[in-house]
Amino acid sequence: MRLAEALLALFRVLVYIFLLAPIAVVVLASFNAGNFLTFPPQGLSLRWFVTFLQNDVFIDAIVYSAVLAALATAVSLVIGTMAALYYVRHAGKEAETVRVLLLLPLILPEILTAIALLFFFYQIGVGLEHRIALFTGHVLMTLPFVFLNVTTSLQGRDEACELAARSLGASRMTAFRRVTLPLIAPGLATGGVFAFIISFDTFGISFILKGTGSAPLPIQLYDYLRFNFTPEAAAVSTVSIIFTLAAVVVADRLFGRKG
Amino acid sequence: MTEVSLLSLVKSYGGAPALRGISLSVGHGQFVSLLGPSGCGKSTTLRCIAGFEEVTDGRILFDGKDISRKLPEKRDIGMVFQSYALFPHLTVAQNLAFGLEMRKVPKAQIAERVARTLDLVQLTPYAERYPKALSGGQQQRVALGRALVIEPAILLLDEPLANLDAKLRDEMRGFIRDLQKRVGITTIYVTHDQNEAMTMSDLVVVMFDGAIAQAGTPEEIYNTPSTEAVARFVGNANILDLPAANPGAGTIDLTLPGGASLTIPAPEKPAARLGIMARPEQIALTGAGQGHLGGRVTRRLFGGGYIDYEIATDFGVLAVQTPANVLADEGQAVGLLLDPARLWPVARDAAA
Ligand SMILES: Nc1ncnc2c1ncn2[C@@H]1O[C@H](COP(=O)(O)OP(=O)(O)OP(=O)(O)O)[C@@H](O)[C@H]1O
Ligand SMILES: [Mg+2]
Repeated sequence: MRLAEALLALFRVLVYIFLLAPIAVVVLASFNAGNFLTFPPQGLSLRWFVTFLQNDVFIDAIVYSAVLAALATAVSLVIGTMAALYYVRHAGKEAETVRVLLLLPLILPEILTAIALLFFFYQIGVGLEHRIALFTGHVLMTLPFVFLNVTTSLQGRDEACELAARSLGASRMTAFRRVTLPLIAPGLATGGVFAFIISFDTFGISFILKGTGSAPLPIQLYDYLRFNFTPEAAAVSTVSIIFTLAAVVVADRLFGRKG
Repeated sequence: MTEVSLLSLVKSYGGAPALRGISLSVGHGQFVSLLGPSGCGKSTTLRCIAGFEEVTDGRILFDGKDISRKLPEKRDIGMVFQSYALFPHLTVAQNLAFGLEMRKVPKAQIAERVARTLDLVQLTPYAERYPKALSGGQQQRVALGRALVIEPAILLLDEPLANLDAKLRDEMRGFIRDLQKRVGITTIYVTHDQNEAMTMSDLVVVMFDGAIAQAGTPEEIYNTPSTEAVARFVGNANILDLPAANPGAGTIDLTLPGGASLTIPAPEKPAARLGIMARPEQIALTGAGQGHLGGRVTRRLFGGGYIDYEIATDFGVLAVQTPANVLADEGQAVGLLLDPARLWPVARDAAA
C-alpha cells in the first residue's frame, strides 16, 4: 500500500512537471541576461522586460488582445447566457440541434471556422474591414465555453425558482436579475474566464482574419520569432501568462465557490 | 379572501388537450383539493390559475374579475411548489422578504411582517439560515411562509408533501390545515393522495384525464361517488352487479340472490350499466347461512384496530373490513350483511 501511494504521488508530480515545465522554462528564460533565447538562462537580468516595455509593437499587441478578449467575452456572455436559457428551458424537441450548432466552433478545426468566416465576409462585401470578421471569429470561438458553463449551472436548478419569484410579484426581468443571475453566477464566471483566455490565446482565427494594421499578441509574437530569437519573446509570454492568471484570480474572487 | 371560478378551462399543448373544460367554483376561504392520478391535469390547472400557462380557452375569475390574461406577477397569488423552489442564495428571512420587496413595502414593515410570519410557521430560530441547511419539513414551512407573508388573494399548493416521509407528512397535513383555517385564505391544493385530500379539504375535486369526474365534500365523494372510477380512486370499493328494477322513480329495488330485496336511492344521472357500491367497512360478517350473501373467507389480514377479510362470493371476491374482535378463520363459511342505507348505485366503467 505504501508503495502504491508513493508511486501515485510520483505520478502526480510527473504530470505537474509535464504540464508546468514548459511554462517555467519560458518564464525563467525571460530573465535571461544573454542575447539569445536559451535555457538555462545565461545570468539573471530584467533587461528584456525593459526592452519589451519600450517596444510599442508588443505593448500595442497586448492591449489589442486584452481589449479584443474583453469585448468578445462580454458579447459571448450575453449571447451564450441567452442561448443556454433557451436550450435548457424552452428548446424542447430542438434542444439537441441547438446544442450541436452552438458547439460547432469547438468541434470543427479552428482553421475551418476561420476560412468559412473569411469566405463569408468577402462574400457579403465586408472583407476584413473594421475588424468585424476578426471580432465575429473571436465571439464564435468563445461562445461554446460560456454556453457550456451556463448550461451546466442552469441544469441543476429547476424553473420553479423563477416561477416562485414571478408568483411573488417579480417581473420576468426582475426574476432573472434577482434569482436566475445569482444562481448561474459561478457558470458565468467560469465561462467568462475560459472565453477570455481562449480569445487571448487563439491563433488560427486571428492569423486568418486579422487583416492589416495591428495584430493580436499571438500573431505579433509569431511574426517576431520568425526573424528574431531574443529573450524578449519570453518576456512577452511571461507577461501574457500573468495576464491570464490575473483573469482567473479576479473571477474566482468575485464569483467563485459561493453557490 | 377571494372567490375563484374556473369557467370551461381548456388547455392544449398541441396534441390531446391536457384540460378538457374544467369548471369549478371555490368559495371564500375554502380549502379545495384537486385529486386524481398522475397526468390527469392537476398541476396544469394550478399553473393556469397561477398564470404560468396561458389557457387555450375558458376563463378564470377572481372575485368575478377575469384574470385569465394577466401576468403571474399581477395575480396576487401565493404558490408552494413540490420542490419548494426556495431561493438558495437567500436566507430564510430574505426568502420571506422577497415578495414584500417586490411589492415595495417599506423596510421596517418588511422586517415586522417577516418576523410575524416566521413565528406563524415556527421558524423564528432559523431566520438567518440558508435553505440547504434546513430539513425537508423546515424547507416546506419556509415555502409556506414565503407564500403567505405577502397575504395573497389565494394560496396554491402543488403536492407540497410529496417529498416528505410518512410521519412528517401526517404532521404537516395537520399544520397546513390549521394554518389555512387561522389565516382564512382561499386555498387550492393538488395531490394524488386521497387520504390527504379527504382529511384536509372542504371540497374534493376528483379529476380524470383532464376533466372533473366529481366535486363534493369528502363525505359525498366517499359515500356517494358518481362513478365506479371515483369510488375506487378515493377508497377501497366493492362493486356488485345486482339486478335492479324500477329505475328512474327516485329509488331502485335490488333483488338479492336469496330472493330478499332492498330499496336504495336511484342515481342522479341515468347510467348505461349500474353497479352497487359497498365500502368494505359497510359490510358486516355474520354466521354462515345468515345475512344477504354467503361466502367463504379466503384471506385474513390483521391491521391492528381492524381486520381486512377477503371473501369469495357469487359476486367475486369482496373486501370486508371488520373491528378486530370479529373473528373468522381462513376457509370458514360466513354470511355477509349489507346495510341498505349505505349501498350506493354507481355508473360502471365502460371497460369494467
Ligand atoms: N409543457 C407541456 N407540454 C406538453 N404536454 C404537457 C406539458 N405539461 C403537461 N403536459 C401534459 O398534460 C397532462 C397533464 O399534466 P399535469 O402535469 O397537469 O398532470 P398532473 O395531474 O399534475 O400529474 P402528476 O400527478 O404526475 O403531477 C399530461 O398528459 C402531460 O403530459
Ligand atoms: Mg403535477
